[in-house]
Amino acid sequence: MRIVVSILLMQIVLCLIIVTGCTRQVNNISDNAQNNIKIEVILKTSENDFWKNVRAGADVAGKEFSVDLSINSPLNESDVEDQISLVNNAIERKVDAIVLAASDYKKLVAVSEKAVDEGIPVIIIDSALDSTRISTFIATDNKEAAIKAGNMLVQVAGKHSNIAIMSFVKGAATSNERQAGIYEAINKYPGIHVLGIEYSLSDERVAQELTKKLLKKFPQINAIVALNGPSTIGTARAIEELNLIGKVKIVGFDNITGEIDYLEDNAIQAIVIQNPYNMGYLGVKNAIDVINKISIARTINTGSTVIDKGNMYLPENQKLLFPFVK
Amino acid sequence: MNIKIKKALKIISQIFYKTFKFGSLQSVITIYFGVIIILVIVFMSAIIYSKFVKTVDNNAVIGTSQTINQVNRNLQYYLQGMNEVSNTVAEQLNSPTSNGIEKARDVFKMTITLRKDIESIAVFTEDGKMMVSTSNLPLKKGLDVKSEDWFQKVIEEPGKINFSNPHVQNLYKGEHRWVVSLSKEVKYNKNGKEIRLIALVDMKFTSIDELCHLIELGKKGYVYIINNDGIIIYHPQQQLIYTGLKNEKIDFAVNNEDGSYIQNNNGEKTVMTIKTVGYTGWKIVGISYYNEMVTSKKEIYYYIISVVAVSIIVLFVMSLIISARISLPIKKLEKLMARVEKGELDIYAEIKGEYEVKQLSKTFNSMISRIRNLMDEIFKEQEAKRKSEIKALQAQINPHFLYNTLDSIVWMAENGESKGVITMVIALANLFRTSISRGKEIIKIKDELENARSYLVIQQMRYTDKFDYIIEADEAVLEYRTFKIVLQPIIENSIYHGIKRMVDRGMIKVTAEIIDDKLLLQVIDNGLGMSKETAESILSKEPKGKVSSGIGVKNVHERIQLYFGNEYGLEIESELEVGTCVKIWLPKLKEEVG
Repeated sequence: MRIVVSILLMQIVLCLIIVTGCTRQVNNISDNAQNNIKIEVILKTSENDFWKNVRAGADVAGKEFSVDLSINSPLNESDVEDQISLVNNAIERKVDAIVLAASDYKKLVAVSEKAVDEGIPVIIIDSALDSTRISTFIATDNKEAAIKAGNMLVQVAGKHSNIAIMSFVKGAATSNERQAGIYEAINKYPGIHVLGIEYSLSDERVAQELTKKLLKKFPQINAIVALNGPSTIGTARAIEELNLIGKVKIVGFDNITGEIDYLEDNAIQAIVIQNPYNMGYLGVKNAIDVINKISIARTINTGSTVIDKGNMYLPENQKLLFPFVK
Repeated sequence: MNIKIKKALKIISQIFYKTFKFGSLQSVITIYFGVIIILVIVFMSAIIYSKFVKTVDNNAVIGTSQTINQVNRNLQYYLQGMNEVSNTVAEQLNSPTSNGIEKARDVFKMTITLRKDIESIAVFTEDGKMMVSTSNLPLKKGLDVKSEDWFQKVIEEPGKINFSNPHVQNLYKGEHRWVVSLSKEVKYNKNGKEIRLIALVDMKFTSIDELCHLIELGKKGYVYIINNDGIIIYHPQQQLIYTGLKNEKIDFAVNNEDGSYIQNNNGEKTVMTIKTVGYTGWKIVGISYYNEMVTSKKEIYYYIISVVAVSIIVLFVMSLIISARISLPIKKLEKLMARVEKGELDIYAEIKGEYEVKQLSKTFNSMISRIRNLMDEIFKEQEAKRKSEIKALQAQINPHFLYNTLDSIVWMAENGESKGVITMVIALANLFRTSISRGKEIIKIKDELENARSYLVIQQMRYTDKFDYIIEADEAVLEYRTFKIVLQPIIENSIYHGIKRMVDRGMIKVTAEIIDDKLLLQVIDNGLGMSKETAESILSKEPKGKVSSGIGVKNVHERIQLYFGNEYGLEIESELEVGTCVKIWLPKLKEEVG
């Protein structure tokens, strides 16, 4: 009889053990989400469509690979100090990797290398950073994009043309690479002469004025290649103002507000656009690979696409040109 | 923590080794219990797990299908709504109450205000001229409406409602909205003449996007929509697919019926659920990650494993304890038995516990008492045997001694020593009187001394003055009791071994006194004596071959010890050429016993 009682008692004890084990198990499950990989994405700004697309790409990758993603950016693209403090903040929070679109080629080096010293890999997207210690650099191959633009220019303006180049910042890596690409494309055609090269400082109004001056000085110019968004808009405005639409062809860069309208109005013949969505996506994806010790390429080209009036409504380009970002 | 566990383990193993003898009842019970428990638990867990897995798989598929069906219903609702709006367009244009185009435009504008998911409504003529539009923006310059996809489809198949793929509406200047366009032919009765018109209803694509975007199929799962040509209408990673960063098995979805299919996607198991949407021939495809759906499967796997492990440990301890409880009374009995084996017979097993154990204890007790009785009987038998042996020996001396004595008397008679004959016969008569002592075993010291004296008289005469003797006794001693014939065998020994072969005249002294509250009788001679070893061997060794005449000294010793205990008996002190002293210790016995 006593044995039966003791067996019963032990079964009760066993049940209790199972029940308590169960509740502990449940707690563990809810804790699991916090043990995930944490990735910090720091962009230049959250304002324009380009960065909204980077963000969308990063979000998709974050969801796909189930990582804790936090995306931050300074309000203003030129606020380098703010970006540095964002990186510092991420280091303090001991994230597993940082995906950074550096606002400055030099000024972000110190803080990025500090992160690497702390064992946090740094993935640079969009704009290069003057450091060899980063994990990878994911961006548009500017030279390749510029060669495409150059070829397009030849196509729209003809093999015997007088052209001008509207660049943006003299000596900046991106503008240098793009200029080199343009020359590489047009040097194959001896009938093409470059009559002028100007720097808009990424200011639409400066570009507009410079274009007007340039055309006054060299009326024989029949095509202008503008190497970034603001330069493109400014150039197109000048052409519109001077009533030279169709007479002076424009090949532009990027896809900022207004460019599509000029493209539809034939003021701009073609634009070369980058793939910010893929930048964001690949930034996060490669960060995960680095965390998981999978070797990745030192540089990754996210590609560029030439858009003209003919192909802008193709399904694959619609998404690039008219991203739906909220 | 670790140290605690180590300590606990150590204690457990100690208990284990202490209580657990292989082959013991407890170990057998524990092992059988354990094996049965483990088999049952493992078997049950396996069944439960496999059942659970099946259910989880089913639920995962069902869950995904339900989600997809929900998407489908919502999508159909939208598309149906658009169709209804397009029907309203036709009705309004031909309504007898309406005042033509202007009135229709107001109704359309009202409609799009009410229905937030509709971007714009427009009606075109067959040659691409816009008749009505809800948009305030002008058409794009140089735009050929006839070349637009949605327009051409209506021209190709006039009777059909045409749903476009999501696209950026390319009609109005400065506006680039993502829409899904419904286009269909409507008839308009203008002055009795029926004109063919094309109605265009643009639905905001964000509605579809939101619809699909918010769908949760686990953390990683997603929903996409394709049309019957396999063109992607909605995909959360559409851009990745266009740029080749991601592949989707669209062909599979296009070519297969509605249902759920398990696939291997880059090494990850996924479940693809296909559902065809009414009106459009679109297909909603849900991709859910098998691992995610069945995370609970893994969890339950580890959970079951840990529960099984814990249960096995607990049940094992339980069976140890239970088997200990069962085998404990038997172990107790076993210990008692071991004590019996060592010779303890005054043991009693408590009768308690289970029926069998009680029976066993009872049997054990009765067995022990039986053994005890038997032992007592054997002891008594042995004693009786010994006594009878002694009696036989006592009976033996008399003829032998008698023969020698009578022989001596004959010699004396022949020599005419009548005085000596008289003395000897009197002594012999005395000896016999005290020896027989009316059949008593225990006699007074006085009588025993008398007996010794008679014997000494006879022997002195036989050995013709070879020795002298003295008998000294305290008055106090005389009334105490002793065995009869205690002194005689010792005196006999003294004469035969000590005095007989002496050249000088020997001396035998017999004393009786009380020392340390015991009686002490001594026979002291100054004969040849013997070595210490011989002296010691007399009392311990069996008599070798040669049987000494009369009752052996050893026999006297044993008799005393047998009757009175080991503290009494003989002590022999002897030295070669000096003599021998035999001490006889006896209790102070006043009454007759035995």
